[in-house]
Amino acid sequence: MVALSVTLGAVVLLLSLLVAGLLRSHADILKALHDLGAGVGDPMGEIGHDHRAAGASAGGGVVPLTMGPTLAADRDSSSAPGVAGVTPAGGAMAVAPATSGGLTLLSFLSTGCASCAGFWESFHHPDRLGLPAGTRLVVITKGPDREIPGEVAALAAPGLSVLMSSDAWTEYEVPGSPFFVLVDGTAGRRIGEGVANHFSQVAELVRRAGIDAAAFDLFPSAGRDIGIDGPARESANDRELLDAGIRPGDPSLYPTSVEELYGPPDARMPASPRHVRRAG
Amino acid sequence: MYAHGIRAGLPVGFEGRIFTRQGSGIEVANPVAQFATFALPAEVGDFGGGAVNLMGDRDVFVVLFEYGRDSVGTRLFAHPGLPRVLTTDHFQPHVLRRGLTGQSGTQWFFTDSGRPFTLYVVLGSHARRSALVPRVNQLLAGLTVDPAPEPSVTGAPWN
Repeated sequence: MVALSVTLGAVVLLLSLLVAGLLRSHADILKALHDLGAGVGDPMGEIGHDHRAAGASAGGGVVPLTMGPTLAADRDSSSAPGVAGVTPAGGAMAVAPATSGGLTLLSFLSTGCASCAGFWESFHHPDRLGLPAGTRLVVITKGPDREIPGEVAALAAPGLSVLMSSDAWTEYEVPGSPFFVLVDGTAGRRIGEGVANHFSQVAELVRRAGIDAAAFDLFPSAGRDIGIDGPARESANDRELLDAGIRPGDPSLYPTSVEELYGPPDARMPASPRHVRRAG
Repeated sequence: MYAHGIRAGLPVGFEGRIFTRQGSGIEVANPVAQFATFALPAEVGDFGGGAVNLMGDRDVFVVLFEYGRDSVGTRLFAHPGLPRVLTTDHFQPHVLRRGLTGQSGTQWFFTDSGRPFTLYVVLGSHARRSALVPRVNQLLAGLTVDPAPEPSVTGAPWN
């Protein structure tokens, strides 16, 4: 009986030591996880305990634990940073959609993705896109380190604003192409983003945003109507000069005196209304 | 931003582009740099045609336009270096290439780093010039021009 009691006591003692050891090991694991920033609540710690400080004080660096893509709730889905890059033609371009007023639709496309092909094609017919007036369209591909400018240029419609910047994809946290971001330049933030299979779906997103914004007068006017304008106006001027036989370098383009330009002072007569030619 | 030997550190709120327009066959396409505080349309004339009519009264539009090398040394481009500090007195409504009510502009011809340029600036509101000119100067402070490249040697390389 005595031997049985002694044996039983020894077994209980051994089991107690084993349980104590397991509890100690578990506590060490929890503490290590907490120091790594993956703690789920430390009853010994203070509320708002600084993981970075704890890691630093322990002599170890902070190890960010990132697994998989950023969760939707963690994405910065409202900022609209300016983006800068190069153009397929070898120029440079920078857009500031958050401060430029009106709506800017950023279209993140690739040259290689099959579903992007339809969008590249759609942009050749801007009048059929169905975007509200005053909406600016900017296509952003990855930079020359990931895309070939010549291939981008071959797909881009004439007159389409195309910017190549891998940084823009990172800053807007683009998960893949095609991806669209709608920025309200008056409110200074992005008001919509997502993927689509057809541009009509994107246009519908913009149209709905327009309905929301209309009550707040977010859309700027289309500007002053001043007739023929832009590069067409300058081309028209060039054509008129060429038709008149005035080519680049013509001496008449480089008058050496006011008299040569307007004639002698006595000959300068105030123009009658029918002689006034309005600048095109 | 950097292209065609023009570098621009854009202040917050500015956007821009540096490009060469495709020549018509009889003219040489030189670099053009355009900067604006509003959304630049895809198609803009070299000196702002198609853009200045979109300006609000708090906007500015800046063009840096390079001319051909044969202009170097001429009296028109005698001013040395890009103007860095403009004043409100430099802006006049009649300087505008396209006179739009309320706006004003200024234009400078100069040679920087051996390259002849004109600087053309439009203010969306002449009445607000005291507030807008500092923004222009902020932009000008961040513009630099690389020296003109040496003329390429013509002839076969084996000669």
